[in-house]
Amino acid sequence: MKGLRQMNSEEKNSDLGITVSISECEPNFKFEVLSHPDASGLNACFNCGTCTAGCPIHEVFPEYNPRKLAKMVKLGMKKQVLSSPYIWYCATCHNCEQRCPQNVKFFNILNVLKNLAARQGYAPSCWIQQTEQIAKTGIVFPTEDSWIKRRQEMSLPFLNLDGEKAKRIIESSGMNEIKSKVNLNE
Amino acid sequence: MSKYALFLGCTTPTQVPQYELSARWVCKYFGIELIDIKDFVCCGINQVNLDIETGFSLAAMNLALAESEKLDVLTLCAACTGALAETIEKLKDEASRDKVNKKLKTVGLKYTGQSKVKHISRVLYEDIGLETIKKGIKKDLSALHVAPHYGCHYLKPKSAFGDFEKPDNPKRLHHLISAAGAHPIEYETLGLCCGGKTFPVTKNLAHSLVQKKFDNLMDKEADAMVLQCQTCYLMYSGQQKEINENYGKRYDFPVILYPQLLGLALGAEPKKDLGLDLNEISVNRILDKIL
Repeated sequence: MKGLRQMNSEEKNSDLGITVSISECEPNFKFEVLSHPDASGLNACFNCGTCTAGCPIHEVFPEYNPRKLAKMVKLGMKKQVLSSPYIWYCATCHNCEQRCPQNVKFFNILNVLKNLAARQGYAPSCWIQQTEQIAKTGIVFPTEDSWIKRRQEMSLPFLNLDGEKAKRIIESSGMNEIKSKVNLNE
Repeated sequence: MSKYALFLGCTTPTQVPQYELSARWVCKYFGIELIDIKDFVCCGINQVNLDIETGFSLAAMNLALAESEKLDVLTLCAACTGALAETIEKLKDEASRDKVNKKLKTVGLKYTGQSKVKHISRVLYEDIGLETIKKGIKKDLSALHVAPHYGCHYLKPKSAFGDFEKPDNPKRLHHLISAAGAHPIEYETLGLCCGGKTFPVTKNLAHSLVQKKFDNLMDKEADAMVLQCQTCYLMYSGQQKEINENYGKRYDFPVILYPQLLGLALGAEPKKDLGLDLNEISVNRILDKIL
């Protein structure tokens, strides 16, 4: 209920705190996003804010606002959306999708935005490093004697940890392009 | 009896082996045969952040491996469950399936959608059933009042899971806890996400979510939290000490995984069979309450 009250107060302000600079807007951005099948629901969004009202991240960090992001995409604010660190803050709880009266899968739209942002060099290094690790061991962790030994002590089965197949799948996806655009030292 | 390919994921076998140990023990107890498939890799759930197709292809590769053994998949991790279930749903679309299969061809695999995925709690609930579980109880856990936590990807999104649980009012873990003889408590933040998937990006926000749940549970006199996902486990148990240090808190909640709780009730040896000595927050006060 707290979330709903917040939305109402925002309604009174008659905007979402979005400052639109027409010269910086890219009207085709919406179509670029919509061209991905996963984002096809965006057109059905009427910006009611149910997604934001149920978002646990919004509740502890109001700057992360799914409703606002959806609006910004529709307004063509490509640069602001893709360079925003907030698009990476989603906890993937799926509440937005679960509760949307229009069946918009905001979670999927957000993934499309993150994919586009990654190709512009905005991906957080944690996800790049994790993906590189999978290409080595098949899992997101490197091989470590401590847990291998512990598994032996617990009589748990040997882990294969062969990343070769995963590596071939990852390499066929443009991951090198994503990686080359990210400053891993950021 | 039931037979499944056991999908361990990344975190359980390396960081939370007590979940795997207790899950294997409980499955063996009920005659659920678990097959280890050596080529299983990460479910790809985080890779969709960078490239949706890569994430789904990794999941599809795992499903194709299970298919080749003619097995359904039993998962322990809620997130892996979600990743695999979402992939099954997405790849019902022929164009998406063809795209993914082009990638899988490079590793000699093909996805056709024959294998289903079920979280261990679903297998216990649906294949074994509450009555059979109750019949196996040897130890009295009735002194235990525990807070269930479901894990988002165990039951959402509805496009992948239908409505076997009502996400805003889930019940099955409550029933499973009751079947084990303990008492599930009701609390307001039951559905609150653990924040585990945002933890690598923004640790502070993830910590905020954990604290919201802990603050709610402080008033509830719960003996422990009972979970069914090792990512949630690492957030509530593994991060508890750091949260106390960073934010000047004094949270002290034992956190156990459902197969550990059930194993206790079924008479398993707490250390050797269930790895309860590995839980960061000591569970001795729970064991002391069990007759």
